[in-house]
Amino acid sequence: MNKMGTIIGFTFKNKVKTKAFLITTLIMVILLSIGMNIPYFIKVFKGEDKADGGNRSQIAVIAEPGNPAAELLLSSAAPAAPADQEEDTFAVTFASYPSADDAALKEGMDKGDIEGYLTFGEASGEGLPPVTYHSEDGELDGELQTYLQSALQAVNTQLIVGDKLTDSQVAAMYAPVTIATQELSAGGTQGGEEAEQTAATINYVVVYVLLILFFMSIMMTGNMISAEVTSEKSSRIMEILITSASPLTQMFGKVIGIFLVGLMQIAIIALSVTANLMLPHNSGILADFELDLSQLSIGLLVYGLILYILGYFLYALIYAAVGSIVSRTEDLGQAVMPIMMIGFVNFYVPLFSIWSPDTTLIKVASFIPFTSPLSMLLRIGVGQVAFWEIAVSLVILLVTTFVFGWLAAKIYRTGVLMYGKRPSIKEIRKAMKAYKI
Amino acid sequence: MEALKLEQVVKQYGEKTAVNGINLKVEQGEIYGLLGANGAGKTTTMRMVLGLIYPDEGKILYNGKPFSNELQHLMGYLPEERGLYPKVKVSDQIIYLARLRGMAAGDAEKSLRYWLDRFEVPEYYNKKIEELSKGNQQKMGFIAAVVHKPQILVLDEAFSGLDPVNVELLKDTVKELRDQGTSILFSTHRMEHVEELCRHITILDRSNTVVQGEIREIKKSYPREEVILRTAGEVPGLEGIAGVTAVQRQERGYVLSISEIGAAQQILQHAIVAGEVEHFEIKEPTLNQIFIRAVGESNE
Repeated sequence: MNKMGTIIGFTFKNKVKTKAFLITTLIMVILLSIGMNIPYFIKVFKGEDKADGGNRSQIAVIAEPGNPAAELLLSSAAPAAPADQEEDTFAVTFASYPSADDAALKEGMDKGDIEGYLTFGEASGEGLPPVTYHSEDGELDGELQTYLQSALQAVNTQLIVGDKLTDSQVAAMYAPVTIATQELSAGGTQGGEEAEQTAATINYVVVYVLLILFFMSIMMTGNMISAEVTSEKSSRIMEILITSASPLTQMFGKVIGIFLVGLMQIAIIALSVTANLMLPHNSGILADFELDLSQLSIGLLVYGLILYILGYFLYALIYAAVGSIVSRTEDLGQAVMPIMMIGFVNFYVPLFSIWSPDTTLIKVASFIPFTSPLSMLLRIGVGQVAFWEIAVSLVILLVTTFVFGWLAAKIYRTGVLMYGKRPSIKEIRKAMKAYKI
Repeated sequence: MEALKLEQVVKQYGEKTAVNGINLKVEQGEIYGLLGANGAGKTTTMRMVLGLIYPDEGKILYNGKPFSNELQHLMGYLPEERGLYPKVKVSDQIIYLARLRGMAAGDAEKSLRYWLDRFEVPEYYNKKIEELSKGNQQKMGFIAAVVHKPQILVLDEAFSGLDPVNVELLKDTVKELRDQGTSILFSTHRMEHVEELCRHITILDRSNTVVQGEIREIKKSYPREEVILRTAGEVPGLEGIAGVTAVQRQERGYVLSISEIGAAQQILQHAIVAGEVEHFEIKEPTLNQIFIRAVGESNE
C-alpha cells in the first residue's frame, strides 16, 4: 500500500507538471471562459450599435394626406415595445412626408437618419394597395422586412375589417394558437411521469456538458495511461520498476494517479465555469436561457460521479493493458484504435439521442458495460429510468470493471516484459498462463 | 551460506529452452561473472534471479530462502538496455525508485547525494536525464541500481559504452561494493574485466553451461599453447621443432603456437643456441581464448 502511494504521488506529480497537461487545461479554461462570455460580448457590441442609432430605424411614408393605409400605418407606429426589453427590440418609427422630393427627407436619407421610404400604389379592390420600399441600396434586410410585413398585414386587416370588429376581437385574431400535450399513461403512474416529462432544461444542459466532459476526460486520461506505460517499456525503465514493485501495484498506482489528474482537470474546469457564472455581468445568463439552477437534480450529479469513476476505471485499465503489450510508442496509436472506437460509441450514441433519451437503443446501451456510463447518465438526466435499472446497470458495470481489472493485470504482468513485435493474442494468452499475477 | 544459489534452473519459452539447468553459487562479497554470447541465456538467468520471471524447474535461493517480494528491497538491477525517465529530474526519479525499494525519502536523498559526489557530478541532481550524455545517463542508471544499498546486485553489461576513464571509475566502485559485502552477479562480453573482477565464472552457450568454476582453475585446465620469445637476433628454424604449429614473427621476437607443452622447452633450447634470449614465456590461455574455444567448440 505504501508503494502504491509512492507510485500514485509520482505519477500525479509528473503528469501535472507536464507542459501538455498545463496547456490543454489552460486552453480549455480559456475557451470555456470565452464561450460563456459571448452573450455578454454580444450585448456590449449591440449596445454600441444602439448608441449610433443603428437599431432604431426611421422609415418615411410618402402619401397624400388622407390615404387610409398610410394613416393606419402611421398610427400603429412602435407597437408593443416594452421598456425593459428595449435593448433587444427592433424598433421602427414612421414619419410622414408629403413627397419623395421633400428636402427634409433627402437630408435625412443622406445623413442616414432615415433608412428608406414607402410609397403606395393605386388601390385595386379591397385591402392594402401595393407598397414599394425605396432605399439607397434597394435592399430590405430580414428584420426590417419582418417588421414591415407584420405592420402592413395589420393595416391590411384593419382596412378590410374596418369597424366591423372591435379592437379586442382583432387582437384575439392575432393571438397565437397553442397546442397543449398530455401523455396517456397505461400504468396510471401519472404523477411520476409528469415530473419526468418536464425534465428541466438545465438538466439537458448539464447532461450535455457532462457527456462531453466525461468523454474527453476518459479519452485523454486513457491515452495518457497507455502512452505512459508504453514509454516506460520503450525507455526500459520498466525492468527496474518491476523489480521494485509488483506489476499490479504499478498498474493500479498509475491508473489511480492519472485518475486524480483527470479529476483535478474536471475540478479546474468546474471552478472556471463557476467563476465565470459568478462574474457580475454574467448573472443574467442563466435566466436569459431560461435555466434555473434550483431545478438541477442533485441525483444526476451524484450518479454522474459514480458513473464517471466506474467508466474511467474500466477504460483506463484496458488502456493500461493495451499500453503494456506495445513496445514502441509509434505502434500505440494502432493498438488503442479498437478501444477508442468503443469510446466513441459510448459518447455519440447518447449525444445523438439527447432529445429522445427513451429509445430502445439507449435502453440497451445503458446496460452494456462499455456504453452504459454515458448512456445511463443520459437516461438519469433527461430520460425515464427506474431505480432498479440504474442499480442493475451499475452492478454490471462494477463487475465488468473488476473482471477487466483482473484481466488487465494479467495482461500487464505479461506484456511489460514482452519486447519486439506486438505479440498476437495467442502468444499473450500462452504467456499469461505462466504468471500468477 | 551462499548469498545466491541457483539449482538446476530451467526456463523455457514455448518450444525454445532459454536456460537449461544452470547451477551457480554466489558468496557474499563476491563478483560472479556470467559470460556468454548473445542469446546464450544470460539476461534470462538474471531476470529469474530478480524474480521478474519464474523458472520452470529448479530453485533459486537467496541466503537459503526462496524468492519473496520483500527480497526486492535487497536487490539492485542495472539492465543491459538501461533506462530512466528521460523527462524527469535525476533526483525525482532516483529517489522515487529508492522509495519503491523501501527506503525513506530522506535516506534516499542522502544516498543519492553521496553517489553523485562519488561520481563527481553533484550538479546533476536537478538535471533531466535527457540533458545528460549517454555515459552520464549510464552512471545515473548505476546509481539507481545501488542507491538503496542492495545486498545482491545484478549488473548486465555494466561497462559497455563507457570511456576508459569512466570504466575505471565504475570498476573501482564495483570493487568497493564487493569489499563492503555486496554479492554481485555480473555479465559482460569484455573478458579483461572478468579477469580483473571475478573469482568464479560461468560461460553459457545456447542456454547450456559449458564452462564453470574458479578462473584460476579453469585456466589451469586449459593447455598452455602459446610461447612468447624475444631474442637479440634472428632465430631460424623454429618451424622445424616438433609440436610447433605456427610461428608468428613480430617486431621484437616471436609468438609461437604449440600443440604440446614439451615443445616449449625445445624452443628455448633452440633459441639459446641461436643467440641471446631476452624473454621467454609460456602463456596461460586468456579468458578470451577459453571463451572462444568453449563457445566455438560447442558450436561445431
